[in-house]
Amino acid sequence: MRVSLNWLADYIDLGTSDPEEIAQVLESLGHEVEETERLAPDFGRVVTARVLEVEAHPRADRIRVCRVTAGGEPQTVVCGAWNFEAGATVAWALPGATLSGGTEIGRRSIRGVESNGMICSETELGLGEDADGILVLDSEVPLGEDLAGFGSLTDTVLDLSITPNRPDVMSYVGVARELAAFYRVDYRVPEPVFAQVEARPRIGITIEDPTGCYRFVSREVSGCRVSASPFWMRTRLRASGQRPISNVVDITNYVLLELGQPIHAFDLEELGGEGIVVRRAHPGERLTTLDGVERDLTPADLVVADRHRASALAGTMGGGASEVTAKTTEVLIEAASWDPPTVLHMSKRHGLRTEASARFERGVDPALPPLAATRAAELVSTLAGGEALSEVTDVVAREDRLRPVTIDFELREAERILGPGFDAPRVTDLLSRLHLGTEGEDPVRVEVPTFRPDLTRPIDLVEELARLWGYNNFPERVPRGPGGGRSVSQRRTRTLRQALCGLGFSESVSLSFMRSSEIEIWGWEEEDERAREIRLKNPLREEESILRTTLLPGLLRVARYNYSHGLDELAVFELGRVFLDRPHRVLPKVPDQPERVGLLATGRLGGSGLGVERRPVDFYTVSAVWRAISHQLDLEGWRLEPVEAAGWHPARAARLLLDGEPVGIMGEVHPSVVRRAELIGRVIAMELDLDPLVADRRHWQFRAPSVFPPYTFDMAFEAPEDLAADDLLSATGEAAGDLLESARVFDEFRGEPLSRGRKSLAINYTLRAPDRTLSSEETAEALRSMADAARAAGAELRGEL
Amino acid sequence: MESLDALLKTAPTLVKGTSTLDELSEAEAELLGRRSLVAEFQRGIGRLPPEERPAVGKAIQEARRTLGKLIETQRRRLETETERLMLASDRVDVSLAALEYQEGYTHLITSTIEEVCDIFIGLGYRVVGGPEAESGLYNFDALNTPPTHPSRLESDTLYLDWGDPADDMLLRTHTSPMQARYMEEHDPPVYVVVPGKVYRADTPDATHSPVFHQIEGLAVDEGLTFSDLRGTLAYFAREFFGSERSIRMLPNFFPFTEPSAEMHASCFSCEGGGQCRVCGGVGWIELLGCGMVDPNVFEWVGYDPSKVSGFAFGMGVERIAQVRHGVSPLRHFFDNDLRVLSQFR
Repeated sequence: MRVSLNWLADYIDLGTSDPEEIAQVLESLGHEVEETERLAPDFGRVVTARVLEVEAHPRADRIRVCRVTAGGEPQTVVCGAWNFEAGATVAWALPGATLSGGTEIGRRSIRGVESNGMICSETELGLGEDADGILVLDSEVPLGEDLAGFGSLTDTVLDLSITPNRPDVMSYVGVARELAAFYRVDYRVPEPVFAQVEARPRIGITIEDPTGCYRFVSREVSGCRVSASPFWMRTRLRASGQRPISNVVDITNYVLLELGQPIHAFDLEELGGEGIVVRRAHPGERLTTLDGVERDLTPADLVVADRHRASALAGTMGGGASEVTAKTTEVLIEAASWDPPTVLHMSKRHGLRTEASARFERGVDPALPPLAATRAAELVSTLAGGEALSEVTDVVAREDRLRPVTIDFELREAERILGPGFDAPRVTDLLSRLHLGTEGEDPVRVEVPTFRPDLTRPIDLVEELARLWGYNNFPERVPRGPGGGRSVSQRRTRTLRQALCGLGFSESVSLSFMRSSEIEIWGWEEEDERAREIRLKNPLREEESILRTTLLPGLLRVARYNYSHGLDELAVFELGRVFLDRPHRVLPKVPDQPERVGLLATGRLGGSGLGVERRPVDFYTVSAVWRAISHQLDLEGWRLEPVEAAGWHPARAARLLLDGEPVGIMGEVHPSVVRRAELIGRVIAMELDLDPLVADRRHWQFRAPSVFPPYTFDMAFEAPEDLAADDLLSATGEAAGDLLESARVFDEFRGEPLSRGRKSLAINYTLRAPDRTLSSEETAEALRSMADAARAAGAELRGEL
Repeated sequence: MESLDALLKTAPTLVKGTSTLDELSEAEAELLGRRSLVAEFQRGIGRLPPEERPAVGKAIQEARRTLGKLIETQRRRLETETERLMLASDRVDVSLAALEYQEGYTHLITSTIEEVCDIFIGLGYRVVGGPEAESGLYNFDALNTPPTHPSRLESDTLYLDWGDPADDMLLRTHTSPMQARYMEEHDPPVYVVVPGKVYRADTPDATHSPVFHQIEGLAVDEGLTFSDLRGTLAYFAREFFGSERSIRMLPNFFPFTEPSAEMHASCFSCEGGGQCRVCGGVGWIELLGCGMVDPNVFEWVGYDPSKVSGFAFGMGVERIAQVRHGVSPLRHFFDNDLRVLSQFR
């Protein structure tokens, strides 16, 4: 809502004219000032003048010669506009004048006639878009006045953002009312006074739909002349963001801005039949609205109709057929109260948000229509020269909406929410300044006028008290909660994140969507949970139409983004939810949306240095990352087993089992996926369910380090290809029993002298006892049983013990 | 014995004159070796009359000790010097980054969330999470949002094609549904913060994203008033943006709080006025929306609004990170460009 301070002064006398102060007060009351705009003419030496004579130019058809006076000696001015005659009051740029934009005006000869300056159009003065003719001023304007300092052209406009609960502030009177409450001054509501003709209205009103229409007021004005509205009105409308059109249309906009009651003017002659009906649209009915769009209506639409057809979309926009035009002489003024949700949905459905619908969808005071219709009739009859009929048609379908609400307000309500100090005198003072009726001390009986539909409960009054008292006048106090902080799993998630950062992975945060092309490249089977995705009903773009079922497409996108910006070595991880087409395990009625940890790396990983080659990533990188994570999270009881899964390298991927339960997959991404993601080389990835990783774990127990010497030795085994290193390690480790301190594969070897399908694994073991130095008999015994255990697992010791 | 004294006089020159450990070994052999004067005296001691033996023996021992000490001192000196020379030849260019560890970086959204949560943990709050795919019941109904409210329209909210259509499955538009979910499950007092993703029907541009992050705060207890809300937010502003901050609150409107407010913090980058990059010269930065919990919300979750009161606030994580670090446009949060990620820890 754009508020011209010049116009606002009609309704309130403020002690200040400082726009900054007014803006601050409005903001403190909850009306955000989005912009403060200072309007000032940028022309000079332009004065008000009267055209005394208009004559044809002796040597040109399209221009005329005028005799113009600004109160003194008449002078000759040549003019190309035809929208005026002798007697018109105009804006005269004297020789030496500057027009908007900097053009300088001199005295010059136009086809043999000397022109002393020029007569200006609105465009030339920077006042509007109307360049068709010159600016014709109101005839009462005194002559010789400097136009720049005149006509309220110097103004400040506050652009207010009114919250949806306050339709009552979407008008000049409403803004004045708010300021009046703050400044403890009165505000003024227009009191129309004008000549009226005793006559019965021609049009009757019927409300068929009391759900949608609470009240309908109409007034008729006869014998109007539609032309431009006066300069002062055009200036005010322009400052308020409205484009002047014609006097009758401008008046409807003027009253809307002034009182907050949208007004519609019909050309009465174009309304077929004698009655107006407010009803829902018929199926298949159509209406061409004022913006020229032919709209298909549904029975959810509420229309103002004559006997034959719909004439306007209720509270939203009028129809083209009954539009007020230059030919209109008989005008019907409508001021009605419409049901907010009906208007909201209608304007959304038709993609049509107007000044009227913006107010009706929030709720316009149902007490306003009579005053607004009368105010409009007053302005039409005085500015467009018509005769207003004295009789007003006022049909009320919903009396209940006209009754003020009464709230019994207990003072402890205020104290409970606002703290001490809100006693009866303060509460009564604040509420009555807000124009609410008050009676009694505790409870205070509060009568809420109909322009405040937002006030229905005691808590609504509490907010009003706080608002007018000033949100910033409350002391500050910091309450302390009972604690709780982060849960175990939240703390362990943080440990996991820190571990991954320490391993060189950077955290990424992706939007939670994936597109179908990103799904296709993985080649998931239809029954795969990752392919059974949840779709959005109303996506804005294809990119955000499917909820992610896995973190991997997002991670590939990150890799691709960085690759295309010149970075071919990347290690990223993400922690986030995926969305699966199955019920949530705990919460009813929502889909399962477990948190996952995913990671992906390309190129090489690890520290780098002069002459140090970093290791290209492969399966062993991702399994090493996992082992580091498992150490940081104290996870034991896990194993990796080979897995063939869509999208993964068939021989370089593993499923992670934790306590026997599958938790996710890690490995190398299938080369075909890598190619289709437009990446190169080996790409490693991992995606695990987060919950089992970060669930509370039994704390491992301290083991005192042995003070006795270790026995360290290597053993090499020849084993079939399919014997997992892990199995060999656990078999030999179990045989070593409590003496085993560590075991680590330090070499893997294939080829001569081993036959095909065989491999050699060399393992470094450390044995140690907590309480003694191991004897040579003990170590020999341990080695023998380890070799035996290896043999039982299918591996032969290479060489002798 | 005179020759022993003479030896002790000349020995320091001999020992200190050595310049390598080898030379020192030679000098040591000469002074204390089997053929040395000292050794000769030692051997000759048996030929002396018994009454002279102790005095001579003692003199020999003293000579040995003196010479030994002299040699040891010189040895340490030579060893130190040798090492010094060796180390000097091992000089590095201290400015050369010859080795670099690969570092990973926490995303700015996460580190911002963690920091805000830490601040509230210090005030005794608990951190909780909640579902992102949510029902209309919790996202709207529980939060006093009428069925006709514009925020429910498809132009604002992303709906899901899942489950019973009557449940209005959607992507939560704020973290506030957790207010209702948490209060349903827990009795007061409640002091929680809820960080997480939220969703809106917005096409990505400089200032919009269909996904962003919020941190919700909720405190419900006996006797909490508007002053507690003010004090808590001022505390947060000072912890997060610096101890000099003050706050202002302007009335606003949200369905689930009343009174509702918008909280601004004084700009940390300017004194107001001028062309401040952060606040645009206003002197205040809009940070978050907040208010006292509406009694209808309490009733919905089964709390007695005449017994407890409370406040709630919700801040945009990208918003406060953007304000503090100047990250713009918004897509930098979601492109995951390593050149951006590596700027934050």
